[in-house]
Order: sequence, then structure tokens, then C-alpha cells
Amino acid sequence: MTLAESTPALEEEQPRGSTLGRYLAWKGGGAAISLVMVVVLGFFAFRVLPGDPAINLTRGRRVSAAEVERLREELGLNDPLPLQFVSYLGDLLRGDLGVSYVYNRSVGALILEGLGPTVLLTGSAALISIVLGLWLGQKAGWARGSVFDKSQTGLALVFWSVPTFWLGLILLLVFSGGFGWFPSGGMVTAGTDLRGLALVLDVAHHLVLPVLTMVAVVYAQYLMVMRASVLEEMTSDYLTTARAKGLREDLVRTRHAVPNALLPTVTLIFLTIGGLVGGAVTVETVFSWPGLGYLTFQGLSAPDLPLLQGTFVVFSSIVIVMNFVAELVYRVLDPRLRSS
Amino acid sequence: MAQTAAPALEWRGVTIGYRRPGEPELVAVDDVSLRVGRGETLGLAGESGCGKSTLAMSVLRLLPRSSRLDGEVLVHGEDVAAMSWGRLRTVRWTEAAIVFQGAMHSLNPVRTVRWQILEALELHADRGGSAQSRQARVAELLGMVDLPVARADAYPHELSGGQKQRVMIAMALACDPDVIIADEPTTALDVVVQAQVLDVLSTLVRERGLTLVMISHDLSVLAAVCERIVVMRHGKIVEQGPSDRILTAPEHEHTRELAAAFPVIGDPASRRVVGRVASRDALDAQRTEPTPQRPEPTAQRPEPVEGRSPDPADPPLLEVRDLVVDFRSRGRAVRAVDSVSLQCRRGEIVALVGQSGSGKTTLARSVLGLQRPTSGTVLHRGEPLPTDRAGLKAYRRAVQFVLQDPSASLNPKHTVYQAVAEGVQIHRLPGDEAEHVAEALRRAELNPPETFFGRLPQELSGGQRQRVVIAGALALQPTFLVADEPVASLDASVRGEVLALLLELQRDLDLGALVITHDLGLAWNIADRVVVMHQGRLVEEGSVEQVLLDPQHAYTQSLLRVVPSRLGSRR
Repeated sequence: MTLAESTPALEEEQPRGSTLGRYLAWKGGGAAISLVMVVVLGFFAFRVLPGDPAINLTRGRRVSAAEVERLREELGLNDPLPLQFVSYLGDLLRGDLGVSYVYNRSVGALILEGLGPTVLLTGSAALISIVLGLWLGQKAGWARGSVFDKSQTGLALVFWSVPTFWLGLILLLVFSGGFGWFPSGGMVTAGTDLRGLALVLDVAHHLVLPVLTMVAVVYAQYLMVMRASVLEEMTSDYLTTARAKGLREDLVRTRHAVPNALLPTVTLIFLTIGGLVGGAVTVETVFSWPGLGYLTFQGLSAPDLPLLQGTFVVFSSIVIVMNFVAELVYRVLDPRLRSS
Repeated sequence: MAQTAAPALEWRGVTIGYRRPGEPELVAVDDVSLRVGRGETLGLAGESGCGKSTLAMSVLRLLPRSSRLDGEVLVHGEDVAAMSWGRLRTVRWTEAAIVFQGAMHSLNPVRTVRWQILEALELHADRGGSAQSRQARVAELLGMVDLPVARADAYPHELSGGQKQRVMIAMALACDPDVIIADEPTTALDVVVQAQVLDVLSTLVRERGLTLVMISHDLSVLAAVCERIVVMRHGKIVEQGPSDRILTAPEHEHTRELAAAFPVIGDPASRRVVGRVASRDALDAQRTEPTPQRPEPTAQRPEPVEGRSPDPADPPLLEVRDLVVDFRSRGRAVRAVDSVSLQCRRGEIVALVGQSGSGKTTLARSVLGLQRPTSGTVLHRGEPLPTDRAGLKAYRRAVQFVLQDPSASLNPKHTVYQAVAEGVQIHRLPGDEAEHVAEALRRAELNPPETFFGRLPQELSGGQRQRVVIAGALALQPTFLVADEPVASLDASVRGEVLALLLELQRDLDLGALVITHDLGLAWNIADRVVVMHQGRLVEEGSVEQVLLDPQHAYTQSLLRVVPSRLGSRR
């Protein structure tokens, strides 16, 4: 007898629209607050980075102290921190992320350019690793203790524990340097002017190694969570019901066990997609992939404060938005959440 | 199929064992032979672990892989074990279907009722019919179990326990099977809902001439629906016969134990006499001489404990005055307890009876100071319940509580000693801690106490666990116990043990108790007074004899009508 049982059951259902609206407002509000905090953090976090942008930018050139000082003034680095913050906020509200020190171009334009390649890379990697991980995970869980289960979980964990940059470099050495099957970096072959299908094929060719690296490192987490989730559902009574109805064993799995086992996995998927974008920094750097990760890496050496702030805000926003989407998708998938 | 004369179901010398890693095989069913004729209704009774469910599941070969089956299980004369997978899948649900315990998790939580019923229909679609006719069939099936068609689009969590059970029955009937196996179809349901579900089930079985095998731990439920009852224990059939005979004149000791758990209200033999009395003769036969150190507990004496009724002139030990508890749920206030006044005296056992949702648990939580009342007061020895930490702590030492499920209320990682000593430590009782623990265990009849000190809950039986919980309460030398469904999760034989213990404590320690229960039989067994709660209000109150034998309020009357032991007489 629990407390819940002691409250009389509610006869009438509340109109569903109002609960959904309140739910959306509540979760959306939470996401907005997180975003504001990211924006604030993004500014101050990079101010504590060591290194003076003005000196680094003029390194290797013969410049007088006065010229460095003038550059500092121009970049606004001499203003008191609160004033810099206010102008940063003002610019941000107008959608202006500032001008990159290194590229001397608008950060907004740079990010927009890098966003496509990053979404392409992480999107392909996420799709493949999720499908692969979930499929292997439910098979492994269903046949717990079998050769398939042991070999697949073992293999996935080996890849999971390998450092991303190391795996990337090994793949580069073997398949690009050794066999010469794949290009060593970039997104398109330099100096060519490809169009249409030829361009797509060229990009796909460049995409293979970086995607392979990312998939190998991350698919294990989907596999392990799905496997655990299936194991949890395996002893459920409704599976006995399904068997008693006369369902074949593989239908019991795919129609009953997997949809239920997927529920806890969905949250994880969306949480990790956000993280995946952040993880792209290493892979993009190793493969000189012209995306946001590569841009961030370039910005770190200066340090190129507007660029770093810009990519930081973008990366964080992706994570926050993905969390928000996860909440919504979970609600759609699980009927129990819809009415509560 | 071919042999029309063959019985609907037959087990021939069936032995079923479960392989366990590192342990000898567990024999769940031990050389059982049983025939169920066409159109017969058979009840399989027994406690948890007696093999009754294993036996039933073997009909559709639904046993786990770790099981081993010897002997033959015949459905309409055809050996299930010898069937090919394809043949077996065809037989499943079309010749024999199972009504699982729907109130639990036997329905897929993410699929609608319609989807789940349609699935069975589509799977055996060779029986004819278009998509449209299948939809019509779903509506027809729901109509059979008195559910509105609109419920077809509900998900299981949107249904009440009784509705889920009706869906299970509708689903089992989907492909017109000849045999229905109902596995504890009403366990975990309220008595009122239980009566409705049993009514639906038995009507359908009778009208369609179905063969029914029903499994339950409750003999009176089986007797209400079935013609014949088979009692199992330790994998063997110990007794079988017509329902009326099994219920009224059980021959085997174990059957008597099961029957005693559901006493006939009004029967003086079960008034303040519980459990072990039923099997007393057998105990006496085994015992060559009584244990010398300990006086024989009262509960083992056949005559009722007398002169124990508390003096009504006593000032109440616990008093509830005009108690109101509101909960906010989805922005609306729900009144769980509505102006309740109640008095409990020293040494008095009061049964608080009501359906789930009647507010009885909330009332108990308020009495324990776990739930802040919206208005009204709880008085202990005439003083309002303290609200400061120290005061509440002292109060909780005097008024202890016992929860329903001992496996859930004991920390699985704590030994018996730790579980019982925790309260002693918290309240810093003077004297030797080990002595306190030993004394409490002895009081709770866990003898010799030292042998229990190092044991973990998982090593104990259900009854022993509940006695550890009671020992934990007794260690603080309370003056009053609040027990929430103290035996609802226990098997019939241990139910008696625990109730006998409560009666003994009342006699020896003058310990009163407020026992919350949905089981009127329990009230008849041990209580001095009964309080009936309905929709947050007390609707009737008085001595056990007065309330249960001559109920005044319509709700009490309706509760008494659906007590399982009375259901049979309605047939």
C-alpha cells in the first residue's frame, strides 16, 4: 500500500492541451535559462585563458610596442571587463558575434561556413553509430552470454577505450598513407571544380575515415545501454503474454521487448548527440575537416576570443537544444508520460 | 484434434525441474497426474512456490529455458512437448489461452489495448476475417467483459486494475479457445473489484462451455468459480475434491491451513484464533512433549483468548479528532481523509477496513506523524502530537509501525541484528544493545535469537522477515503498533503465524494495534473493534461482532457481500 494508492483515483481527465502547454513552457524555460548561463560563462571563461591576443597576432612581425598597444585598443582589450561584457551582450543580441582576430572575418560567417561540414560529419557518425549500437545491443542482450554477446560487447569496449586522436592517426597512416585508398584530409579534393554527383562522391570519399573514427569510438555506449535495457525488459510478464499468444520469438523481441527497451535509450541518444558535436574537435583536427571543431582548434592558439566565444555558444546551444528535444521525444514515445 | 473423446487437458506423470547454476535442480512439479475434462472448471490452490503456476504454464510450453520436463502434457489428447514450434504457436491462444495477472505487468505498457487484442487476432488470421471484421471483434470482445469500446484506445496505465484484468480476459477469448487458464486473475485487486472480475469470468466460462483452470492461493475465490479444487504443496497434489467439500471439510493439514487464512466471518472457531490452530492437531501429533522453557503461546490453544477486551472507560491512548488531509493533484485538491475521529485504547486491536483509495493509509500516516494533516489533531495520551524533532522521536518510540511487504521494508544488506538494533541505537536505549535485540527477537518468536543475528533478509522466509520487522518495532518497547496490511503479502501458512504473534503481544504486553486491512476476515480473526472507511470518511464503527454480523451502513453491507467466502454461496 503506497501513498499514491491512498489518494482517490481521479475520475476526470484534465484537458491534455493545457498540460502539454505547461510542460513545454516549463522545459523550454529551463532550456532558456541554461542558454543565458552559457552566454555569460562563454565570455568570462575565455578571458582567463593565458596569452595576449595582441602579442600573438603580431608575432613574427616587426611591430613597435605602440602598434601593439593600438591593436589592443582597436580590439577593445583595454576596456574594463564589465564594459567589454556589456558590448559583447549587446552585439550578441543583435546577432553579431564579433570579428575573428585570426581570420579577420565575421565570426558569424565563419561559424555558418563550418556548421555544414560539422553537421555532415557528426550527423553521419551519429546515425551510423546509433543504428549499429542499438541493433547490436538488442541482439546481444536477447542472447545474453552467447558468443555473439561476448564478442560484440568485448569488441565495442576495446574501441570505446581507444583514444580518438590515436585511432584517427592509425587509420590515416594505414588507409591513406599505406594503401592510399582515402584522402588524408579536407572535405573536397583541392584544385578541382566538381559539381553534382561527382562532388557528392568526392565528399563521401573524404568522409569515410573521419566518420569511421567517430563511429568506432562512440557506438559502444549505445550498444551497452541498449543491451542493459533489453536485459531489464526480458523478464517482463508482457513478454510471456506475447509468447502465449503464439508470437514467434523474433516478433516477441522486435514488437514487444525492443520498443520498451528503447525508451531509456532515447534520452541517452539525444544527450550524446550534443556531446558528439563537441567531440568533433579532435576528429576534425586530425583530418583537417573544415568544420566548427577545426575552427575552435585554430581559435585556441591565438587565443581568438570572439571566435572561441562564438563556437562555445554554438556547441553549448546544440547540447541544450538536444536535451530539450529528448524530453519531447520521450513524451511522444512513452504514453505513460503523456498523461502525467 | 482427432480424438474428440480426449480430455481438454491432461498431465501424465509430469515432473518439472529448474536447473540452477551451482545448486541442485529445483523440482517445482513432482510426478503430477491430472485430467481436466471438457467444460470442467478446476481450481489449482497452493502457496507461492508450490508449483501450481509451473504446472499451468507447461500447458502452452511457456516454461523458461532452464526448465526440464518429464512426462506428458496433453492438450485435447496431443502432447505439447512433442509439437513442432509451428504447431505449438498455432495451438497457443487458439486452443488454450491464458489470463495473466493483468493488474500487474502482463500488458505491454507502450501499446494500446486495441493493438494488443488485434495482434492476437492477426496472428491467427487464418481463422478468417478482414481487417474490418477484426476491428468489430475487438469491440465485441470488450463488450463481453463489460468495457466500453472507447477503452480500446487506452494504454494500460490509463486503466484501473479491474479494467486491465477485464482486458486480459477479453484478449484471452480473442481466438475462441476451448481452454482458459487463469493465473491468479484477481490477486492484487480490491475485494469489490475482485467480485466483479470473478463474475465476468465465471459467466463467460459458463455461457461458452469453456474449460477453465484457475490458479489462486485463495481457496474461497476458487470455490466461487470452480467445481473441483486441487491443492498442491511442494510440487505434489496433496488433496483434491469438489469445491464445497474442500472448503468445508478439508482433509489434508495444508488444505486446512489454506482455508484458515480466509475465515468464515461469523464462525466462532476462527474468532481470535488464527493460523496454527488449524493445523494444531498435526502439530500435537508431531510433538512428543511441549518445549519446556517456553509456555505454549495462546494462539495455539483452541479456545479463544478471553477477558482481553480493553475497558471502554480507559482514556484513549491514541485519539484522532476531526482529521482532514487534502492532497493537491494536478492542480486540484483531493480530500483523502475527511473529518475522521477515532479512538484507540491501550491493549486494543482496532481494524481499519476499506478499499484501496479509501484513505486508510493516509490516515495511518497522519497518526504516525508522517503526514501533516490539513486540519484536525492527533492526540497521544491526551496530548497533541509533538511537532518538534525530539518530541516526534519520543512519540515514534511509543507508537511503532509495521509495513505490508517485509522484503521491501527490510534493507537487504542489513543483517537481522542490524535491522533490529537500528532503532535501539537511534533512541539510545539504556542497557545492553545485544540484550535488547535478543529480547525483541524472542518476543517475535525468532528462537533462539542468537542464530538469527547474522542472517540477511534473503535467507529468511516471508513470515520470518515480517517477524523481524515486528521485532524491530518491539525492540523499542512501544505501547502501540500501527500495521499497514501486515499479512497481505504473506502466504496462508505464515499469515497465521504473524496474526497469532499480534494476538500474543496483545495478551502478554498489553500492546494495542491499529491494523489497516482490506481483509474483513483478518478483522474477524484478531480485532476487538472495526472501523470502516469509505471515500475518506468513517462510515461505521463498533465491535467486531456488531459491525461484521449486523452491518448497518450500506457500504459495509456491500463489502461483506463480496467477501470471497460468501461468493460461493451466490453461485
